[in-house]
Amino acid sequence: MIVRYESWGAWVKLESHAALVALDRKGVRSLGLDGGSAWREGAGPSAPVEVHMAVTARCGAGCDGCYLDARPDGAEPPREVLLRELDALRDAGVFTVAFGGGEPTTRDDIDVLAEAARARGMTAVLTTSGLGLTDARIDKLRGFSQVNVSYDGSSETYARVRGFDGAAAAERAIERIARAGIRAGVNVVLTRESFPRVRETVARARDLGACEAQLLRYKPAGRAASLDYLARRLTAEQARTLGPTLRELAGSLCASNDFHVRIDCALVAFLSADDELARNPARLTRFGVFGCEAGGALAAFTVDGRVAPCSFAGPTGLRATDLARHASDPELARWRNHVDAPPEPCASCSLRAVCKGGCKVVAAHLDGAHGPDPECPRVIADRASARKEAAA
Amino acid sequence: MSCGEGASREEAPPAESRPEVAHIVAVRVGHGANCSSIGSVIDTLFATATVGAAVFAAVVAALRVEEVRVVSPGGRAGDPEGEARPESEP
Repeated sequence: MIVRYESWGAWVKLESHAALVALDRKGVRSLGLDGGSAWREGAGPSAPVEVHMAVTARCGAGCDGCYLDARPDGAEPPREVLLRELDALRDAGVFTVAFGGGEPTTRDDIDVLAEAARARGMTAVLTTSGLGLTDARIDKLRGFSQVNVSYDGSSETYARVRGFDGAAAAERAIERIARAGIRAGVNVVLTRESFPRVRETVARARDLGACEAQLLRYKPAGRAASLDYLARRLTAEQARTLGPTLRELAGSLCASNDFHVRIDCALVAFLSADDELARNPARLTRFGVFGCEAGGALAAFTVDGRVAPCSFAGPTGLRATDLARHASDPELARWRNHVDAPPEPCASCSLRAVCKGGCKVVAAHLDGAHGPDPECPRVIADRASARKEAAA
Repeated sequence: MSCGEGASREEAPPAESRPEVAHIVAVRVGHGANCSSIGSVIDTLFATATVGAAVFAAVVAALRVEEVRVVSPGGRAGDPEGEARPESEP
């Protein structure tokens, strides 16, 4: 196991199980360890546990909503630069590095980068569109602990999300990655077009050999930061029904415990509409559910070597190779600290400590500031009530 | 066992003081492999108490047998005299 001391105890990354464990001080002591200065000096910002690294901005897929605005002639940093960034991740005690882009599998040295991450003690994972993924390229992915394929549904649904039909290529990729003995997962972007078919999509992915489906909220970044965003995002009603939808997916597809469903940080805010979950935030905490961790447990490295709070946020002035100085970066602190004193209705929300105010990228896009997530059902209801009162 | 800089686990802890479920603040299951936003497994939220307990029991079992390597971000090396401020959770 890999232990990283924190003010409250330690993060522990298990090696026999795919799990990251938050252990309190007594638990750490029971391992025969002591946090020393990390405990003595009190709470300070922790280093990220996970960093998303854009290893290329090249991609020929041309997805309508690409958050990076990746293009066929996008920039691609040399390997030596990325190796220095991996050194910075190791030095900061980061546990997981997720390679993305752009299309990371177009790099001829993607296997070298995976091995470099592993040699530095990190878990390396990767996201791919699956387009053009030959057996030779799949063979280069063996160093990754998991590979997720972007898969939003069957042909028509996929095309409505991405602007072209890449479903067959994605399905082939899922199948072949799994058959090669590499853990395969899928990323499913939830738009108002893909949401009604999410059960069918996730079931299909499982049948193709995926071990996990991660549901992603559509976010206004890159090419998705346009007026079109309003027509593609989930409807308010769909957002309200996320909880029951997840309950149904878990009950019907995860019973045998060999397939899991994840949600991304930005979807956590929608759980405020689910009475059962909202009444039991401790359960979400206990199972390690992360809301907005931008600038906190999560950071992103941009393709030009800068640190961003998350992949959808603009970069800070901090160089990736200087990640160890993350605690003193004012922009990362601004993202991280929002949850300390949020305005209503976040302040009185039972999920506040987990959700952390919802997606700040969405808030900044729609409201122009780091306020409550304007697509959160609780925020929508609160604003509607305020409008009603004002009108009265 | 191998320990990194600052580690202070010099011998196996006595059986009576090994990690218990009560020491676990949170468990994040799985690797996740999305490169754009951080994800969390949620089917465990809806699982029966038995399944949930099994997850924690498996974690405790692993904590008791896995070798330890400590990574200490800058200035956070282990110190056996360390103790002070109130604890807060992740």
